Amino acid sequence: MKRICIFQDTDRPGSTPDLLGAAERLYGEGRFESHLVLLNGSGDAFFGHFHHIHRVADGLVAEYDPRGITEILETLHQNLGFHSILIPATGLGQMIAPRLALRLKTGLVSGVTDIKHGSDGMEIIRPAYSGKILEGIRFMGAGSRVMSIRPNAFDHIPKDGLKTLVSEYTAPVTNRSGMNRLHVEKASMANDEPAGDIRDSHVLVAGGGGVKEHFPALVELAKALGGSVAASRKPVDQGVAQRSIQVGQSGKTVSVRLYMALGIHGSIQHLAGLRQVDTLISVNRSGHAPICSLSDIVVQGDAGEFIHKLMEKISTYRSGNKGR
Amino acid sequence: MGMNILCAVKFVPDVDRVAIDVENIAGGFGNNRAGRSSRMILNPDDACALAFALGVKAEHPEYTVEVVTLGPSSLSPHMEDLLRLAVDRATLISDADLDTGALTSRVLASYISTRPFHCILTGSHSLDGGSARVPVELAEILGLDQMLGVTGIDPDRFDTMQAVIDVAEERGRTTYDMAMPCVLSLTRESGYRLPYAKLTDMRRDVSDELIVVSADDSGVQPLTTVVNRYPKIFEEKDRQVVGTDDAGIEQVFDFLKAKGFLSI
Repeated sequence: MKRICIFQDTDRPGSTPDLLGAAERLYGEGRFESHLVLLNGSGDAFFGHFHHIHRVADGLVAEYDPRGITEILETLHQNLGFHSILIPATGLGQMIAPRLALRLKTGLVSGVTDIKHGSDGMEIIRPAYSGKILEGIRFMGAGSRVMSIRPNAFDHIPKDGLKTLVSEYTAPVTNRSGMNRLHVEKASMANDEPAGDIRDSHVLVAGGGGVKEHFPALVELAKALGGSVAASRKPVDQGVAQRSIQVGQSGKTVSVRLYMALGIHGSIQHLAGLRQVDTLISVNRSGHAPICSLSDIVVQGDAGEFIHKLMEKISTYRSGNKGR
Repeated sequence: MGMNILCAVKFVPDVDRVAIDVENIAGGFGNNRAGRSSRMILNPDDACALAFALGVKAEHPEYTVEVVTLGPSSLSPHMEDLLRLAVDRATLISDADLDTGALTSRVLASYISTRPFHCILTGSHSLDGGSARVPVELAEILGLDQMLGVTGIDPDRFDTMQAVIDVAEERGRTTYDMAMPCVLSLTRESGYRLPYAKLTDMRRDVSDELIVVSADDSGVQPLTTVVNRYPKIFEEKDRQVVGTDDAGIEQVFDFLKAKGFLSI
């Protein structure tokens, strides 16, 4: 049976099930032995979902130290001989995976978004050239593999029932980074703070460069539709929207029931962040913007006018229903 | 005390302006040979790293800034342009005879290990690859700390002992204190911009100043992966096109209602 190691980024524990989904795509459900490595927390949420949970003892290494964490993963691999090591492609994960692959003298695929099985074997898919093309990568030989997995790229249906063995990792870490986290400052923007992670939302109202001055109104529309606000790269670069709500190649990958794109041209880099969208409504002055060809409804016109009129319509509908 | 800042940069096809033809992309090589007939630009993240270094040098003329890149000899004019921007030393490591099994990071590290430096600045992501692995590998091979996603460096706390940096993370902006020497990898969000060359510098013949060296191929190792490339295809839909008039809004409203997005 294959042995898979999954590292949990303390700042993004929500990506751990995605990695379990990637493991299932690699080897098939129930056909591998799963090991979870975590730095903080009990891991209670994953009891029954993993065969093994390795808790790193408190104080052994800082949760943001890529060199120290790499050493822990390397040591665990030496002891347990993992076939694959999956790391979330978060900022921290991107600093761990290449170090680990070098130390293990093995291949690395970064930012994996898909895994395909064909007659030539397994191909690991990742976007390249700012999302304009896809690379299909095949590992040669039977050695271990290291992959960083793009958050929200894989589905995993939680199923418990495994007997989870928990062990504490206590081996001293000899090679820590010489870095200290001084402070964390939550960014503040003109528009409302986003509530939660856009990857957890089923409805996204996304604004682009064409709605720069309408971002507060986007928040209202998103609330009316029970969703969250997202953004393309342009308003993020302009300082209008937070980086944490950016969708696309350099932002987040989302799967939603409804994606309403307002003033978004739809560069291939932005579309790269739309993994699965059931319904797409785009509002654009140009009916020929790339995003239009992917839309169920194209609203050609001014996005500000659209938001105002649709909100009015929704308010009238809701106030009328309240009276009944 | 003077400070030696080394910038490891990459020139990439301008993917925003040229079509990427998957047939013409050679695979498996870190500093890939894609689009060498295409217009090449200094990778935007790398340009920010160099811009910061030149900004520090403008304040401290005694500091030195060295730029190193790996690529074909056709990059010489681009590197000469950097020499015209007050870069003290520019080195092009020619990859002409390099085996495709060589890791970019090993070749770069082999050269950099022969140079004096207090800090290595790079970009975080490259337009063509985007995996951010080279700066991390470079740090690992050289035994250094490294940070990706740097959006700002405090110029008053950037010296031979430490660098205080800001990093864009999911939770917001995080400030770290990094011990030198280390590798700091900047992003475009930093907003550092390269200066314009002075008119007199633009006319300066710097061809003798550019150092061209052959790549040390000790970084060659057996290939562990094979890469295929495919065009990305999005599925088009049969769409309804409406305006922002009352009829258009009504249609969108009815659609949202029918799909259950307006449930109270």
